[in-house]
Amino acid sequence: MDTLQHLLTGLAAAASLQNLSFALIGCILGTLIGVLPGLGPAAGTAILIPLTFTLDPIGALIMLSAIYYGAMYGGTITSVLINVPGEAASVVTCFDGYQMAKQGRGGTALGIAAIGSFVGGIAATLALIVVAPPLARVALSFGPPEFFALMLVGLALITGLSGQSLLPALVMAVLGLLVALVGIDPVRGAPRFTFGVPSLYDGVGFIPVVMGLFGVAEILLTIEKPYRQVIKTNLSSLLPSRPEWRRALGAIGRGTGIGFFLGLIPGVGSIIPTFVAYVFEKRISKTPEQFGQGAIEGVAAPETANNAYANAAMIPLLTLGIPSSPTIAVLMGAFIINGLTPGPFLFKERPDLVWAVIASFMIGNVLLLVLNLPFVGLWARLLHLPYQYVCVGTLLFCVIGAYSLQQSVFDVGVMIACGIIGYGLRKVDLPIAPLVLGLILGPFIEKSLRTSLEMSGGDFSIFFTRPLCLGLLVIAAAVLAASMLRLPPPQLRESNP
Amino acid sequence: MYRIFTAAALAVAAATGNAGAQDFPNKPVQLMVAFPAGGSTDIGARIVASIAEKALGQPIVVVNKGGAGGQVGWTEMVRQRPDGHYIGYINLPATNTVILDPDRKAIFTEKDFTPIINHVLDPGVIWVKADSQYKTVQDLIDAAKKAPNTLRAATTGILSDDHLAILMTEEAAPGAVFRLVHLEGGAAQFKELMAGNIDVAFDNVGSIVPRVRSGEVRALAVMDDARSKFLPDVPTMKELGYPTVMSNSTRGIAGPKGMPAAVVGKLREVLKKAMDDPEHVSKLESQGLAIKVMIGDEYEKYFADTHAKAKKYTDWAKNRPQK
Amino acid sequence: MRRGRQIACVCLLGIFLAALITSLDYSLTDALGPGPGFFPFWLSLIGAVLTAGILVQEAREPDPGPLEWPQGPAALQAAAVPVALAAAAALIEPLGYRPTMLIFIAGLLPVLGARSPVGIMLTALAGSFGVFHVFYYWLKVPLPLGTLGL
Repeated sequence: MDTLQHLLTGLAAAASLQNLSFALIGCILGTLIGVLPGLGPAAGTAILIPLTFTLDPIGALIMLSAIYYGAMYGGTITSVLINVPGEAASVVTCFDGYQMAKQGRGGTALGIAAIGSFVGGIAATLALIVVAPPLARVALSFGPPEFFALMLVGLALITGLSGQSLLPALVMAVLGLLVALVGIDPVRGAPRFTFGVPSLYDGVGFIPVVMGLFGVAEILLTIEKPYRQVIKTNLSSLLPSRPEWRRALGAIGRGTGIGFFLGLIPGVGSIIPTFVAYVFEKRISKTPEQFGQGAIEGVAAPETANNAYANAAMIPLLTLGIPSSPTIAVLMGAFIINGLTPGPFLFKERPDLVWAVIASFMIGNVLLLVLNLPFVGLWARLLHLPYQYVCVGTLLFCVIGAYSLQQSVFDVGVMIACGIIGYGLRKVDLPIAPLVLGLILGPFIEKSLRTSLEMSGGDFSIFFTRPLCLGLLVIAAAVLAASMLRLPPPQLRESNP
Repeated sequence: MYRIFTAAALAVAAATGNAGAQDFPNKPVQLMVAFPAGGSTDIGARIVASIAEKALGQPIVVVNKGGAGGQVGWTEMVRQRPDGHYIGYINLPATNTVILDPDRKAIFTEKDFTPIINHVLDPGVIWVKADSQYKTVQDLIDAAKKAPNTLRAATTGILSDDHLAILMTEEAAPGAVFRLVHLEGGAAQFKELMAGNIDVAFDNVGSIVPRVRSGEVRALAVMDDARSKFLPDVPTMKELGYPTVMSNSTRGIAGPKGMPAAVVGKLREVLKKAMDDPEHVSKLESQGLAIKVMIGDEYEKYFADTHAKAKKYTDWAKNRPQK
Repeated sequence: MRRGRQIACVCLLGIFLAALITSLDYSLTDALGPGPGFFPFWLSLIGAVLTAGILVQEAREPDPGPLEWPQGPAALQAAAVPVALAAAAALIEPLGYRPTMLIFIAGLLPVLGARSPVGIMLTALAGSFGVFHVFYYWLKVPLPLGTLGL
């Protein structure tokens, strides 16, 4: 079969010693970028583009792509170890990953994240090979109205996050949505809720907020207790137990599917697949109360979805020339600088190039696994340092991260404020996850609504005359109804992530 | 007492005034880009910086201060000390519209910048899908006249140069009314155009040159004085009978107002040399970006002209009934 | 816990009401549909109503018990963290990254209970000068130099 032949040629090219070493360097750099605070994959990739000028196009692209999905994994490390997401997509991993680390199972969490990422990435790449062009066309039919409907589905899923305490979850979600509206509005292009502070014109920064709500708040909670050890029990085995394996494998399978399909849709940011995978896993789990306490599926699902998403998002880029996210847009810029314009033309005319890059994804995923698994134990050991060093190290991390995003002290201030707020919320048992979800979805919802109405000239029927959009709206309503009706009888109030 | 005070004041003035010019640069220079990393302004800036810093003798560090269509970065820049160690990219007419839009409440005006040197001039272009029913600009305009406010025209942002360009087109072809769809950037335009959600896109040459070459899209007209060397087969609006539709997006380097002439001169020299460098030229041209170095009076005049033009269309944009 | 929750809810209510009032300044509808004030208005309204709902619910359910606030030295240490962070944030640009972080680390570690002078000094140096070097020179990510160029 033609595709198979292409793949094999591509693999041969990608497996050359030179390209292998580029992939290796890319993976290492990418992981480091993911670990380092503030420097997200987009900025990191952009900064490293000049580095690739001296390389041949394929080599450059292999390295840059490796940096991209390497960074996805790097962000996980800090989420698990210090409850600070290294980059936006790793937020969800904090929920259960950090709890596992506190129970001395940080190594297990990182390990399952690496394995899940590997499976998700390989599966997505294989799917890419088999179904790339036709699926990409499907992605095209996702326009602004469909996007709006999809975001409503995302909102409806909040009810799945909340467990018993629906009302506080809703309030937090509304608060998140409201905070997301701060900044220049998509209607008039004028500042809204900014009170004359220019740093707010682009909204309240997402990374400083989550660094505060998760990282700083966690430190305050650690310090306030008389018994200060960050890890409560000693390091146990690096691998999950047998029943955990079964649950994790199921989560990995589902996460792959969710991440893959969402990756095909241009414009879906990397956080959304992780949230959807997590919430989905929690809904169908027989033990939902364990989520937020260190459930292994709570790490396996989002991490797998994340990597499946990252690899799948290359499909619209390579087949249609459409970048799905800002980071991929940077990658596309790198392609263009190197003289290759991704799109159907390149796919047809230079299959050797495109397939070499695709093949390198597979190799890259293997490399990531090989690189990261051995170090998992090492990383986890960092938590055994005296807690003062862990705390101060984390705070340093957060300050640099918040500052270096935009060289802004204001962002550091936001982070500190959110740290105090997060501490307060945790004390009174108000859930933070719905707040974060509202913050993520807010801008998408308003923008896609606005763009849809611009397209239709103000006609609301556009949402009901497009079949895909209508279908999604029905799903959103169904999810909402199902959650409302399925609430089990009230039990003792549980604490929520 | 009075004499001591005056002497001290004079000494301080002398120390902080021109002293800066003599030992410039004495620390790394920050080059601000008012857009997130990876965008085309950013990549161009990094290329220039990596070449120019060798001649300057100090590192040139690119600093991204994106947000609010550039407003965050420009706000930051006008607050810096005008000693040459903090300069940044201004994008005309984006900088102009931010100043002119009353809702934006910009704290800076066009007088708060010291223009140093212009880098790129990217002409506006009208483009459609390769298999679109609109084969020429006239087709488009006729359709817009026949069914006003139906044809969906995409911009890259509210009050972007493309937004203003659509209004210029409507002005030049009375009766033609487009339905404006504000998307975020050229990639979004490409996607929605391919999906059939919009009919025509207004953007800049640099964004679409590779796609025109590969045959995926068709450029209908370029909104410049002369044809683009990257799209030699595409007519200009002037040729097609619409000489008033002239729109482009420039990127240049400026500093806060009050920079000493000596410092400006040195920066100009170093940056111009970097921009003339063949490696730089080839990298930018591979992206379809036309380099247009403007310095001194030429740049200042261009700034003023663009500002005046932008005012007219910004006012119209804010008051347009169909939005 | 109930008292704490009530206070939190009252704060939230305040935020929602403030947002509601501010959103009235932005137009609620425009030619194409929802205006800039539309979502803020309805979201703050819904938020306020739901928060009121929590307060009502709180009044009806039994109090799960008092909030555990930190005691004694732990309280001081916990309070020291935001104070230190705020000080660092305020000083990082005027003073420059390296001196500020040096003081921050060397100051906070002992407050939290670190005892070894060598450990403290090494960490402070690594976190200030070491990190600066990596970010500024290798990664080309600017960290503040401060007015003294430090």
